[in-house]
Amino acid sequence: MSQIEIADISKTYAIGDISINAVDNVSLKIDKGDFVSIVGHSGSGKTTLLSIIGGIIGPTSGSVVYDGMDICSLNDDKLSEYRSEKIGFMFQFASLLPILTVKENVILPGLFSKKGLGDNIKKAEQYLDMVGIGDKADAYPSQLSGGQQRRVAIARALINNPEVILADEPTGDLDEETEAEIMDLFKRLNREKRVTFIFITHNLDLARQAQRQVQMKNGLLNEVLL
Amino acid sequence: MFREFTLFTLALRNLRRKPFRTGVLIIAIGLLVASILFVLSFVRRVDSSIKTASDRLGADLLIVPTGSRGAAEDVLLENKVKTFFMDKSIVDRVKNIEGISDVTYQTYLVTIVGSCCDVPETLVIAFNQDTDFVIKPWLSKELGRRLNKGEAIVGHESAFNIKIGLTEVDSVLFGNMFKMVGVLDKTGTGLDTAIFIDEENIEDIMKKGKSDLKPGQISAIFARVEKGYDPYLVAGEVEDTIVETDTMSRRDIGKDLINTLRDFSRIFSMTVMLASILSVFLVWTVFSAIANERSREVGIMRAIGAKESHIVKIYFLEVLVIGSIGGIVGIISGTTFSFFAAKSFMILKDLSSDLTVLERSSISVVSFLSGTGICMVGALLPINRIKKMEPLLAIKEE
Repeated sequence: MSQIEIADISKTYAIGDISINAVDNVSLKIDKGDFVSIVGHSGSGKTTLLSIIGGIIGPTSGSVVYDGMDICSLNDDKLSEYRSEKIGFMFQFASLLPILTVKENVILPGLFSKKGLGDNIKKAEQYLDMVGIGDKADAYPSQLSGGQQRRVAIARALINNPEVILADEPTGDLDEETEAEIMDLFKRLNREKRVTFIFITHNLDLARQAQRQVQMKNGLLNEVLL
Repeated sequence: MFREFTLFTLALRNLRRKPFRTGVLIIAIGLLVASILFVLSFVRRVDSSIKTASDRLGADLLIVPTGSRGAAEDVLLENKVKTFFMDKSIVDRVKNIEGISDVTYQTYLVTIVGSCCDVPETLVIAFNQDTDFVIKPWLSKELGRRLNKGEAIVGHESAFNIKIGLTEVDSVLFGNMFKMVGVLDKTGTGLDTAIFIDEENIEDIMKKGKSDLKPGQISAIFARVEKGYDPYLVAGEVEDTIVETDTMSRRDIGKDLINTLRDFSRIFSMTVMLASILSVFLVWTVFSAIANERSREVGIMRAIGAKESHIVKIYFLEVLVIGSIGGIVGIISGTTFSFFAAKSFMILKDLSSDLTVLERSSISVVSFLSGTGICMVGALLPINRIKKMEPLLAIKEE
């Protein structure tokens, strides 16, 4: 059994009288430890697909089964637990809370988790060191550059030891050197901890570094054979 | 050292990000709580003042000279200093009316500092200790014996007015030396501001000629009605029989004042109700704006695992902090305002009954809960709206 089984999912947005099929009858199986890239033009439905897998938006039809559990049928509490315990999210935009310090932003998912904060503070320091901004732990997001904020988001995505990392253009506004460092980090986590990675990118070179590559076009999905 | 990090931390940080807006909300809730507290105190004082005054007089009927009904109520309920007189022979005529069981009477005199007396303007009540049932219960409690000639006992408030506060002080009243032998317990009526003497002293007072009282005059008759008789009907009988009197049954005493004060109470209550509705709208508007401003942050928190209940808790903690601080500010300012209003506004100054600590505490608690509750109600819809949004839509809302 695959870790994630997406079956015939569609997502339709209604804008006034017009309906837009952001994702159209997509099916995909992802095994534990897969390293998957999603490519496609803007508006092709990549972010919607990633959001449906992460349970932050529901499909109009179809199902997403995670380790045998249909996440589309979960109530809010269970779905939140799924997001908290299984998934680590990285958004394509600055997603840190401005009222919290870097360290607080990183441990924030622990506040919503059943496990609580636990040793998250110590782990946060380790992850911040790992992404190279350990000295910024007490700074506020407004005091960081875009690249530094992105690294904080990576540390936050890792803090609850997720089984899957969903990253929407994780290296979008980073320089080449930092981009390479982050990709190395992803690969290491994937290799050592068997964390499943699904990431969206416009950068075909980055996409090719993935073990599997899928392409979205007008809401439809094609797997690219590497 | 990392301080504790909880949902409360998030709520406090959220409030601190726009201190001016938070301050305005706190002040608004504070003003509302202060108004609620003031109005509740006023209504309670009015109710208890009227009730205690009429109950504690111990009489079913009050009989005064025709046209003196208002003045009598002023004296008995509002601590005002007024005199009115009628012929003492009326006492016997009242006794003869069917249904009357006990009768006593009082004579009211007013001190004028400098000309007759060495105490500020105060009502002096001469009463008959043999027939009295109005003062005696308080007198026996304090003094445990009859008042002798040349002795006076002062009402609870008068003790402060004439600055004795203690017993065994001599004062000149209408040219005669009186020994102040005690202070009566608080009665919660207009009697609290008076000085009491036995009617035996009237003769000496008139001899000195320092009072406008004439021989054979009294001010008010207090009567009890026999069991089985309706005081209201007996009062009518007294008025029909003795035309030179106005008679009030216990339930009529202070009727005009009650109506006036109840009207004030209603106006105040309606004003507070409108203020409450306004506050609900204010909180609703502010929290709608907050919900819009922070929709992306809420979406992010939801995406990283926050449940609907976490979002509700964070916002309700904010509301609770605003409501609590506003409530405390309101209680302090409302109590201070009530205190000064009681001293400055005639209508409050005249209310004889004050509130007990328990009443004050209860009113404070009710005001506090009302303020916080109104805050909660105002924030309910915006919070409900934002908690229901799908995380991705909330993120894209901005």
